[in-house]
This record gives sequence, structure tokens and C-alpha cells, in this order.
Amino acid sequence: MTATASGQAPASLRHALHETWADRPGLIGWLMSVDHKSIGKRYVITAFAFFLLGGLEAAVMRMQLARPENHVVGPDLYDQLFTMHGTTMMFLFAVPVMTAMGLYLVPLMIGSRDVAFPRLNAYGYYAYLIGGLFLYTGFFLGSGPDAGWFAYTPLSGPEFGIGKRMDIWAQTVTFTEIAGIIAAIEIIVTVFKQRAPGMSLNRMPLFVWSMLVMAFMILFAMPWIAVDSQFLAMDRLMQTQFFNQAEGGDALLWQHLFWFFGHPEVYIIFIPALGYVSTIISTFTRREVFGYPAMVGALIVTGFLGFALWVHHMFVTSIPQIGESFFTAASAMIAIPTGVQFFCWIATIWEGRPRFQTPFLFMLGFFLVFIIGGLSGVMVASVPFDSQVHDTFFIVAHLHYVLIGGAVFPLWGAFYYWFPKFTGRMLGETLGRWNFALFFIGVNVAFFPMHLLGLHGMPRRVYTYIAETGWGSLNLLATLGAVTIAISVIVFLVNVARTLAARPNAPDDPWETSSTLEWAVSSPPPPYNFAELPVVEGRYALWDRSAVQPVVTGLRTDQRELLITTLLDAEPDHRHRTPEPTIWPLLAALATGTTFIALVYTPWAMVIGAVLIAAPLVAWGWPRPRPGDPIVAGGAS
Amino acid sequence: MSRERAASVDVSALPSAAFGHRAITWWGTLGFMTAEGLTLVVCVVAYIYVQRNFPRWPPPGTLLPSITIPLIQLAVMLLSIPAMAWTSRAARRLDLRGARVGMVLSGIFAVAFCVLRWFEFRALNTRWDSTAYGSAAWAVLVAHSTLLVTQVFESSTMAAILYLGPVEPKHFGDVDDSCLYWYFLTGGWILLSLLVFFSPRLHQ
Repeated sequence: MTATASGQAPASLRHALHETWADRPGLIGWLMSVDHKSIGKRYVITAFAFFLLGGLEAAVMRMQLARPENHVVGPDLYDQLFTMHGTTMMFLFAVPVMTAMGLYLVPLMIGSRDVAFPRLNAYGYYAYLIGGLFLYTGFFLGSGPDAGWFAYTPLSGPEFGIGKRMDIWAQTVTFTEIAGIIAAIEIIVTVFKQRAPGMSLNRMPLFVWSMLVMAFMILFAMPWIAVDSQFLAMDRLMQTQFFNQAEGGDALLWQHLFWFFGHPEVYIIFIPALGYVSTIISTFTRREVFGYPAMVGALIVTGFLGFALWVHHMFVTSIPQIGESFFTAASAMIAIPTGVQFFCWIATIWEGRPRFQTPFLFMLGFFLVFIIGGLSGVMVASVPFDSQVHDTFFIVAHLHYVLIGGAVFPLWGAFYYWFPKFTGRMLGETLGRWNFALFFIGVNVAFFPMHLLGLHGMPRRVYTYIAETGWGSLNLLATLGAVTIAISVIVFLVNVARTLAARPNAPDDPWETSSTLEWAVSSPPPPYNFAELPVVEGRYALWDRSAVQPVVTGLRTDQRELLITTLLDAEPDHRHRTPEPTIWPLLAALATGTTFIALVYTPWAMVIGAVLIAAPLVAWGWPRPRPGDPIVAGGAS
Repeated sequence: MSRERAASVDVSALPSAAFGHRAITWWGTLGFMTAEGLTLVVCVVAYIYVQRNFPRWPPPGTLLPSITIPLIQLAVMLLSIPAMAWTSRAARRLDLRGARVGMVLSGIFAVAFCVLRWFEFRALNTRWDSTAYGSAAWAVLVAHSTLLVTQVFESSTMAAILYLGPVEPKHFGDVDDSCLYWYFLTGGWILLSLLVFFSPRLHQ
């Protein structure tokens, strides 16, 4: 058996590193933490809490629609519910949970000790948390947004958007975009510059490739919605005229800017999931993923094509016919790189020896559910078909098949797969199988009938319907599916609770056939990740390593040092001192939060907020060298 | 080399700081320049998009933007670029005095940009709430102004660190990255200024 990278390290080294890298004890120490694993876990837990809230909103909507002319909720609350559901799932759950998995796993998978900018990482998390809490505070106080998650103007504008509902929505979006862009920069720089020696780009795990592509997509997509939502906020607060047709503004400008972000957003959610799928399939079939270069190429092509599809959300607006044709072609074309990946996975399973454990079951669920969503996507890429089903339940069915199939199934598999690494405990297999089976059945029973409802003409976003439409039985069936999904989520929560109550039982690699570096360290990993950074000898770091793992020596143990390597070949370049834990990112996020929330009420908040934010930022960046640090000048800290 | 005797890689002799694309802060700066640059691009897209809704540009009844102050702003920005190139070179040769002078200069330039920006808002000759033209023109200026204000903060903080210390080798890299950002800040404005202040004259 080969030795692990951490297993060879002497106890004295591990002790010294622990002293340097561990968080301070107590609540303050917890709040000061800049450890990518702590921040990553908080992100995942927070995102999952929002997933539960978004799920509850969906459950109430399904109860309302279970039969004709129902009165569980009225039209106003229903409008808020579907807006909150979409906003929560897209902005507060899906993107954050995907970036969170990257922020936790990427440094481990590339053999580094932290992300590139740990304090900024903490700031990003707190900004996201504050944004989410702000949205839900508004909702529980009766000011939930009500114009849908894509907030079309003029419905969301000053003329029709009542109270502060859509202002709260716009600022929440800004918070989440700040967090998303920060996470993207963290991931890009960490992947580019912190890979362990030997992990050249062509040896990078597919998971890391998927995170890199996702991060670039976030970086290029999110500024669009950040500015778009500020235009909306300014139209509402300062009487700007961006979307006011009467003064030369344009409602379609909103749609273009929104969907130039909104469509890549789908791939921002989907592409990380492809990384989970490749990783899990490789582990559970015990073989290398077939066609690595094709897989990487497909990820990158998908990333580019994701930016060329946004107009297919706007086929029923006044788009020139040539434009419609182009976006139809582009929308159909994206099936090609996705198809390449599917065939590569099938080849991998075909040649491997699959073990049908829970994470792998979720991958099979992904195949079936996502293919249905992908095929209905090719259908709605066609303008005549889209014109018929636009704004009907067919679209609701399609987008849920794509997003649940393409992202939630892989994510759930990823939870089961990496849970032992996060917590040191294996989730129960029996409950896991129940979780999968109920979820698979529930999703199909809930969402497949919606295709038919859409074809029968049922529009989305209606709070009720009359019995004569004949939509009652299919709606009742969809509601039963939603109940099944809810039961599967409860099974998962029970599984997690039971597991966390038990003693830690996970070795370094409980699956025994994993190939990536996070499984070379203990479960959960120590604060410093690797006592000695590994030297990577092949594309599958743990399968290709020598009997005695070559390691990096010479990094200081009395300071938090990262090894910076070259972009292409990951050759050691220099040592980088990374900052200590501090409370200032939290305080800076609170100052930012206060400013943005006040901006809902007065534009002058920007002036006061600039000062409020500047103070913690100075404290955050002010140098506090430790004994032994090279000092050029000064020294009175 | 036999597999059992795989050698370790000793990195103790490697430097503890680096400049340019070797440093992670350079990549971080590039990342933020990309995101911030795109916010400016979105404002430009909005500016161009709403043009199609007007028979004339600027709209009838709206004065053309004045160009005296924008010309002065452009001149000052162009003047600042060699100063920051000099600062970058000083930082790369670890010249503390040069880096200090450079950061103070950048602070003075950044404040000057902000003062001139105040008058540039007035030079637009339109209000943000008048028409979509006014909103879009103001948006371009406001978006860029937030970067100017950030630069005043950045320059003054860096100057304070360099004078009050303690100064570590990595701070020279920070000064160098600040110069990179400066080229983005000023170069970007040249394009935006041409769009907002000068291009409306082409429509006359």
C-alpha cells in the first residue's frame, strides 16, 4: 500500500503546522476564520438552508395548485412565493453551493493549503449571507419580491412594482453577485497559481477543470446582472429612465442584460456538476475517465457557447428573424459538447466495474433526468415550438428537468461522496438509497406531468385555475410528486443527523478507489491540508504516484506559506505568505451590507457607506508582520 | 530514479515575493479589472442600445456635452501614465523612496481626477432623470467614478503603509499591481470619454 502525503510526515512537523494554521478557539476565533474549509462548509450549509426554504415555498405552491380554485394562498402571496422560490434557488442556493464545493475542494484537489485570498473569501461568504438574510427579512415582513426571479420591467419598475419589494430583490442580487465574482477570482487564481508541482494543466482533475470554467463564466456573466439590477434600483429610487419607454428607455434592455447573465447562469450551475459526475464515475467504476482531452474541450466549448444562447429566452419578443435563426442554431449546437461528455461517461462505465453505491446511483439519475431536460431544451430551441409553449408549464417542466437533473442530482451524489471528507463520517447507505429512489421518483412524478399541462395550455405563474380546464388531475399528480421529493429530503436530513451523531468512522479514502488528492489527507483534513505538499506524477494523482510519495520540503512551518507555481507546468516559482485569521472581513461585510440595505431607501447611503466600508478595509490590509518576517522599512506595527 | 527513492522538491531557497504574472496578487488585480471592466462595458451597451429609441442624439432639447473639462481630464490622465510607469519600475527594483513618491503622486492624480469628474458631470449638460440618454451617460460616469474613488482609497492607503510601515517585500508587488490597475483606469476612461463626450458630436 502506498503511503499518503500526510501519513509520512513526522508528528513534530504536523504539530508545528497545526499551531500555525489552526483557527483560534471560541466564537471570536470562529468568526475570524479564513480557512477555505471552514468558509466552504459554511457556504454549503447556508446554501442548503436556503434550498430548504426554497423547497418549502415550492411545496406551498404545489399545495395551492393541487386542485382547481384552491385557497391555500392568495394571488399576492403566490406571486411572492414563486419569485422567492426562483430567486432563492438560483441566487442563494445553486450558484453559491457550486462555488462553495469548489472553494472547499479545489485547494485540496490541487495540493495547496488555502485559496489565493483567504480574507477576501471570508468577506464574500458574509456578503452572501447578509444578502440572503436581507431578502428573507423582507419576505417575512411582507415585502417579498413579486415580479418573478427574472424581474421583467416594467412589472418590476417604479410604475408597477409596489413598495420596496423589488428594491430588496435588486440589492440581494447585488450581494450575491459580489460573492460570486469573489469566489470566481479565488478559484481562477488558486487553480492557475497554486497547483502542486507536477500538476501541469494537462494533468488537472476534471473536477478542477469544471470549476475553472465555471469561475470564468461567473466572472464574465455576473457583472451584467450586477449592473442591470442597479439600473433597476436607480429607476425605482432616483427616477432614471433606463427601462421607461416613454423617455427613450427600453424594457427589452432589461431582458438582454438579464439573460446575457441568466443563460450562462444555467451553465454556471451545470458545469461544476459535470465535474462531480466525472469524478464520481471514475471512482465508482475504478477506471480513468474515457477521453480526457475531449472532456476538457467539451467543458470549455460549453463555457463559450453558454454566452451565445441568451436570446432564446426572448423568442417571443421583437427579435429579427436572422437573430432567431442564429440563436436556434447555437441553442441546438450546445447539445454537441454535452453529447461528447455523455458518450465519454458511457464508455467509462462500459469499460469499468461499476459499484452501485449511493453517489453512483445519483449519477445514473442525472443521466436519465438530464437527458429528458436536454431533449426538451432542443425542442424549445425551435422558434415555432417555443412560441407555442412560452410561459407555459412546459417551460417549468423543462427548466426543472435541466436544473434538477443537471445540477441537483450530481450535487446530491457529491454530498454523499465528499461528506466523509467534510465531516469524517460516512452517510448511511440504506437511507442514501431511499433518498435517491424517492427523489428520482418524486422529480419525475412532479415535473413530467408539467410538460403535458404546458401543452394543454396551462400558463406558468397563475395562482389557480378553474375545474373546466381539465388540469386538475395532472396538477394533483405533480403535487404528489412534490410530496415525494419532500419525503426524500427529510430522509436525507435524517441520514445527516444520524451520521453526525455517530462517531467519526471515515479513513482518508473510505471509497478506496479515489484518484484525487483530497483523499490523501485525513477525513476531515487538518487545518494545513497537507503536512508536506505532494509532488504529482500523473493525471490521476493517487493512482499514478510512486510507492513513496515525493513531496515538497522547505516551506516555513512558523508562518502560513503557500507554494506558488507556474501557470502551465506547475513548476515551483516562489513562496507566498498568506494572511492570518482576522475579524475585519466580517466587519467590512457588515459595513457593505449596511450600505447596500440603506441604498434601498436613499442614494446618499453610498457616500456615508464609502467611509463606513473604508475603515475596516484599511485595518484588514494593514501589515502586521510576525517575528522573522523580512521588513524593508518601518516596523512600528 | 527508483520508485522507492523518489526525491523531494526543496523550495526553501525560492524567493518570498514576485512581480507581474508570477504573483497571485497580479492575477487577482486582473480578475477585478475584468469584472469592473465589464460593468463599464454594460453601461456602454446600455448607452448604445437606447440610442435607437431617439430620432436625434442627444435627444431634441438636450445640449451637446461640453468638451473643455473632458479634454483637461484626458490630458491629466495621459500625463499620469508615464508617472505610474516610472513608479512601476521603481517598485520592481525595490526602490522604497521611488515607490513612496509614486504612490503619493498617484493619490494626488486620483484626487485631481475626482475633482475634474465633478465638473465632467456638469459638462454632460443633462440630468440622470431627464431621458434614457441622460441616464445612460450618467451611468457611464458614475460607474467609472466608483473606480476613481476606490483608487483614491487605494493610493492613500498604500502611501500610508509605505511611509508608516512596516513595509514588507510584497508591498512592492502591490505598488506594481496598483500601476497595472492605473493603466486600466485611465486607458478605459479614454474610450468612455470618447463615447460619452465626443461621439454625440458625430451625430450632428
